[in-house]
Parts: sequence; structure tokens; C-alpha cells
Amino acid sequence: MTDILVLARRALREGIRTPEAIVPTLFIPLFFLVVNVGQAARIFPGSTTAFLHGQGYGAFQLPSSMLLAASFGSAALFLVEDIVDGYFDKLRATPVNRSALVLGRLIAEGVKALLIASLIVALGIAFGIRIASGVFGFLLLILLTAGWAIVYSGFMQIIALKTRSAAATNSAGLVFFPLLFLTPNFVPRNLLTHPMEIAATFNPVTYVMEGMRSLILQHFHWETIGLGYLVVAVATVFMLALSVRVIRSYD
Amino acid sequence: MSAVVAEGLVKTYRSRKDTVAAVRGVDLRVENGEIFGFLGPNGAGKTTTVRMLTTLLSITAGTAHVAGLDVAREPDAVREKIGVALQEAGLDPRQTGRELLVLQGRLFDLSASDAATKADELLELVELTEAADRRIKSYSGGMKRRLDLASALVHQPEVLFLDEPTTGLDPASRVTVWDEVRRINESGTTVFLTTQYLEEADALCRRLAIIDDGLIVRAGTPAGLKADLQERLGREVTLDDVFLDATGRTRTRIAGEVQEVKA
Repeated sequence: MTDILVLARRALREGIRTPEAIVPTLFIPLFFLVVNVGQAARIFPGSTTAFLHGQGYGAFQLPSSMLLAASFGSAALFLVEDIVDGYFDKLRATPVNRSALVLGRLIAEGVKALLIASLIVALGIAFGIRIASGVFGFLLLILLTAGWAIVYSGFMQIIALKTRSAAATNSAGLVFFPLLFLTPNFVPRNLLTHPMEIAATFNPVTYVMEGMRSLILQHFHWETIGLGYLVVAVATVFMLALSVRVIRSYD
Repeated sequence: MSAVVAEGLVKTYRSRKDTVAAVRGVDLRVENGEIFGFLGPNGAGKTTTVRMLTTLLSITAGTAHVAGLDVAREPDAVREKIGVALQEAGLDPRQTGRELLVLQGRLFDLSASDAATKADELLELVELTEAADRRIKSYSGGMKRRLDLASALVHQPEVLFLDEPTTGLDPASRVTVWDEVRRINESGTTVFLTTQYLEEADALCRRLAIIDDGLIVRAGTPAGLKADLQERLGREVTLDDVFLDATGRTRTRIAGEVQEVKA
């Protein structure tokens, strides 16, 4: 456990010392939030749109931005740098548990996601969004976001370890965009066209998004929240198992 | 007990079209406490051999023991006994020298305070105390090499693997690294040194082996290898001549191979 924490601290330090890698993580999701709200807010006024539960359209869009912020996976790009610079081999030559080499970065990514998600929510609150589930709901919201950040960073780390290429890893990050747009991103699932509804139903991101949205718009709707957490938990276990397998066979 | 023993060590890489053998059956024995030189031209298999011996690369065939431990079967135990400074100092440019050494110490199970103390000692040893709190990206090539060397020593390894530790360094920095290597060896650490510089092997190593095309082509003491060739050729020879004779290269061919580098 000490190894994991020591490596997580190093990964956090790395993030703090590279603000140019963190700024887009915050700026781009906020840009999408502003643009999407600007385009659709008048179509869905808060006063007459049932699925907004009395809030503005920004509250409905907030989970998309938080998920996008959690899916940059910059940890994987730092990992590629370590591999290319030879520092990863230096770490592999220590007696540290192989899985710690992966888990340290993922924990750091989770912590970064907690901070960035909190900042996005704080900005949302400043512009009138309310977290209907209160302080506990806020905690559940940012934890769910951090969980997703760990899952997606895990996926990108696997690509980084397999390809050892920044270009390939960066391209893998773009996979999130189709995943994000095949969700009830703009309207609830029941208002999607039938083919889109089917695609969204099979997309795990849908359940994470709906769980987050439920915490923002409603009081505790445990079934939806639980499903979001279940998807993140299952995906985390799968991703960690795969990451550990990849790192153990890394040559 | 020998510090390093390799028997029939083989590494092959498979691609879709064919199989390439980087190391084709290396036998090595390095005794405790010696500085052992491992020489060879570019692409001969030096780094591949070192990566297998240091657990960084899987072994296709053959066996390797380091500090009495089987590299393939007990890799974690081997890692506790070895220090590794690989070709092109592998350092994290965003950390400071001190942070890097403390982290390395922590990964070798030192407590936070012990790791900090050890980092101070090592920084002094490699004369980097003044630069200790600067980020590594601001270090010169020589400083990076010395820090890399220090990071390989945090746990007082029994066997230290140095893969081309002076490549790219200016003559003054090279001599500083040589002095460090001697000092480390005098404290009881066995040093396995790969190098392309024959004068480096001559200056530092008690014994050496020359690898070419994945096979050991000469092994012995520098003086012994020179004496053998001198007897064969009937004239004064240098270690350069031994290297060229062992690898089947000629001075003309070598000059041709390095022309691009010279330009």
C-alpha cells in the first residue's frame, strides 16, 4: 500500500507541475457546457420542462461536462513519457509490486478528478445550478465522477502500455466522444429516437450519467444512483484486472 | 557464489514475418566484488542481455542467476539485490533530484526519514547537494548521469548494472563517473558495466567479455586478451585491436560505420 501511495503522490506532483495539462481538462468541458446550454436552453425552459425538475438546462448538462473532464486520461500520456524517457524501466527495476505501478497513477487520477469535478460543480452553483440531493449528494456526485476517471484512465493506461505511443494513446482518448454522444446527453432516454435509445441503453456511460444527473436534479433516487455506481464498480474491477495483467506481461 | 551467472541465455523477438534472435546463447560468470566489462558494437546484444539480467525483459531460453537468485523465478528478490542505471539516464524531469532519490528509497522499503537521510548522503556522494532541490529537467547530461547512478545505490545493491553510463558525456564528466564507479566497487558492490568505449573498459574492468551478433566472442582480462592477440599477430596491440579482431571488423569498416556520427 505504501508503494501505491508513494507513486500516487509522485503522479499528483507531476500533474501540479504541468498545469498546461490540467487547464484543458477544465476549460474544454466548461466550453461544451456553455455551448450546449446556449444552443438548447430556450428549447427546454426550466419552468415548463418536466425532466429538469424546476432547474435550468445547465443542470441537465452538467454531468456531461463532468464526465468529459474525467475522461481526459492525462495520466496515460504521462505514463507514455515515463516509458519513452526510460523512467518506467527504472521503476520496474525496483521490487515494487507490479500492480502498484498502475494503481498509483489511477489513484492520483481519481484525486485530480475529485478536485476538478468539485470546481466544475462550484462554477455551476455560481451560475444558479443547485444540487438537489444536498451536501451528501454532492459527495456522491464527485465520487462517481472520480470513479469514472479511474475507469477511463485505466483504459488509456492499458493502451499506453500496449502501444508505448503518445499518438496512439491520445487517439484512444477520443473514443470517449462517441460514448458521450450515444447517451441521453441532450434529453432523457425516453425522448430519444428508438435507435438512439437502444444505443444509449447498451452504453455503460448512460448509467453513470443518469446517476449523476439524478443527484443534481432530484432528491436521492437510489435505483438510478446505484446503477451508476454499479457500472463504475464493475468497470473498475474489469479495468484493474486487465491493467494488472498487461503490466505483468510487459516486456 | 558468483554475482552473475548466465548459461545459454537467449532472447528472440517474433514478428509476423520472422523471428529475430537478439541474444543467441550467452554464457557469463561475474565474480563477487569485480568490475566486469561487457563490450560490443551497436546492436550486438549488450542492452538486451542486461535487460534480461535485471528482470526487465523475459528470457526466451537459458538461465540467469544474479546474487545467487534465479532471475526468471525470483524476479522480485533479484530486484532487491540489484541497482540499475540504464542507457540514457531514465529520470523524471518534473521531480527534483532529492524527490527522485527519496521516492526511489521508499520503493526499496526505506522509511520516509531513512529515505530522506539516504538521499542527502547520495547527493553529497555524487556532488549534487547544491542542485538537489532543482527540477531534473534543468540538469546537465553529466548531472543526470550522476543522479541516475545515485538512484541505483539507495538500497546498497550487491550488484550494480551500468548500461553505457558515460555515453554522450564530455571527458571531464566521464572521468567523474569512472571515479564514482571505482568508489562504489571499493565499497563491495559488484559492477556489471556495458560500454562501447574500450579505454573505459581498460581503465575500470578487471575482466571483460565482448559480445557480437548475440554471442560472446572473447572473454578474459584486458591484459590477457591483449597478450593473446599480440602473440598471434607478433606486434604491439591495444584493446581496440582486440575488439576489432573479436568482432571481425576492420578499422576501415568501423570508420565507415561511424561517419554519420562524426558529421
